[in-house]
Amino acid sequence: MENTPHQEKFIVPIGPQHPALKEPGHFEFTVDGEVVTAATVRLGYVHRGIEKGAEARNWTQNLYLVERVCGICSHIHATALALGAEKLANITVPPRGQAIRTLVCELERVHSHLLWLGVAAHEGGFDTLFMYSWRDRETIMDLLEEVTGNRVNYSVNQIGGVKIDITQAQLDAIRRGVDFLEERTHHYLKVVTTDEVFLARTRNVGTMTMQQAIEFGAVGPTARASGLDMDIRVDAPYASYPDFKVNKVTATRGDLEARFVVRINELFETYRLIREMIEKMPTGELMAKAPRRIPAGETISRVEAPRGELFYFIKSNGSEKPERLKIRTPSICNWASVMQLAVGHRLADMPMMLVGIDPCFSCSDRLITIKGRTGNNQTWTWEDLRRYGIEYYR
Amino acid sequence: MERSSLNEVEVALQPLVERLGFQEEFRLDAYLSADRLLEAVQLLMKMGWMHLSAITGLDMPSPGPAAAGAPATETPLSLQDQPEAGSQDAAEGRIELLYQFCEGKENITLRTSLPYSNPLAPSVCGLIPYATLYERELIEMFGVILEGTPETARFVLPDDWPVGVYPLRKEFKG
Repeated sequence: MENTPHQEKFIVPIGPQHPALKEPGHFEFTVDGEVVTAATVRLGYVHRGIEKGAEARNWTQNLYLVERVCGICSHIHATALALGAEKLANITVPPRGQAIRTLVCELERVHSHLLWLGVAAHEGGFDTLFMYSWRDRETIMDLLEEVTGNRVNYSVNQIGGVKIDITQAQLDAIRRGVDFLEERTHHYLKVVTTDEVFLARTRNVGTMTMQQAIEFGAVGPTARASGLDMDIRVDAPYASYPDFKVNKVTATRGDLEARFVVRINELFETYRLIREMIEKMPTGELMAKAPRRIPAGETISRVEAPRGELFYFIKSNGSEKPERLKIRTPSICNWASVMQLAVGHRLADMPMMLVGIDPCFSCSDRLITIKGRTGNNQTWTWEDLRRYGIEYYR
Repeated sequence: MERSSLNEVEVALQPLVERLGFQEEFRLDAYLSADRLLEAVQLLMKMGWMHLSAITGLDMPSPGPAAAGAPATETPLSLQDQPEAGSQDAAEGRIELLYQFCEGKENITLRTSLPYSNPLAPSVCGLIPYATLYERELIEMFGVILEGTPETARFVLPDDWPVGVYPLRKEFKG
């Protein structure tokens, strides 16, 4: 790279595949020396045609289908669909059913945020933090398995309520797990806010102002780290959130550190919420009877996934199958924001910035080909780029 | 920024749209022709509605009776409809685009309907740059033409996907 004449424009393609991470994505960063001057994204390597597939399946089958949109936040997808269908069919879910649904949402948020913490630490070269956070995450995975029977794709939702009940012993186990995780989370907060090496990779890196967050269309923790206080659980409470109030967690700096701090503080808020739900778990039925055919109509169902606003537009033609199911995941919004934000930042910061939005990540492995017009092609793997990023900050 | 209420927006949108109304609580639907779209988006943004949550496409192969009970009106387009040779103009399918702005509990949807023969709408990326990903998806999935969209490289479909095949149109059966 050091042989490059000045005016030459380099495009650094990253991606598309990584065998370990969930979704492949492809990015092209145009760089001027070390600084990114343009960025673009290409997805679709795991495009499975779920929106199309939904039109050929009935409402119950679709609950299973949409759970497979994402392997991390699967429950929230089924929740969005169930809430939308219930709204169209005018079904009132019994409080206990709704509360169990919401409890699983929050357990899922804990697992998702801890997973992200590990991935983000790994991309920054902090593998000890990665290992510890993933070890602790097993606590929540075991609890989810204990409660739902599955580690992923919990399959808890049903149109009209939930399929599973929760015993007092399980609630006690969750409380113990949350107590342990809370203690650990205090430690992680201390690490990411005081470890100087860590801060060198995160403080004042990838800063997004609140105005930018609005203009770039950021959502979820990424937006909240820039002080944009949007949280669907608070702004438009769904499921049991009208009864179990959430406090918005925001930060003002808008840099990578703030994105760490917001997610970790959100964990504390989630622990508090889980305890409150255990305390006040309503009694009664788990589900209301739902018809096979959902009455014709259209509705918008928005929920707060771990990564931000998840948007479902549901159109029913009155039959057993939906006419149209539109899904807009929060990562799409955050992709758009990071692509705009990347401009002006150093290439070495890209792994951390990409991971900073907690992309349903996706991406970005295998090959980086650096092509110069001079023909000095060089091939990097994601591993090489990661190492380059770590070395850069040594 | 201070955000105008749904009712204020309803009044302000009135001159730009063909009809508007609430299908459910907190959700305002405004039907307009494609050439008024940018004006309407600009107006919403000026009134503090900055968050475009999604652009949804709906394929309606044959016009059929509209669900809302209103007669299916021909949307006047700025450009002349030019049916392709052999296409049946009476039962021409349409693509409806839904620009969904969401703030808190409230949703505003700008809806514009385009005929198969001339599925042309302006890009909103000039006003909302992050809409580029939404628009790329829409172009690939529905075969609409969004004039002025900054990037049309393949976004989700494979590189070797045949030209002119749009997966989310109803006629596509896999």
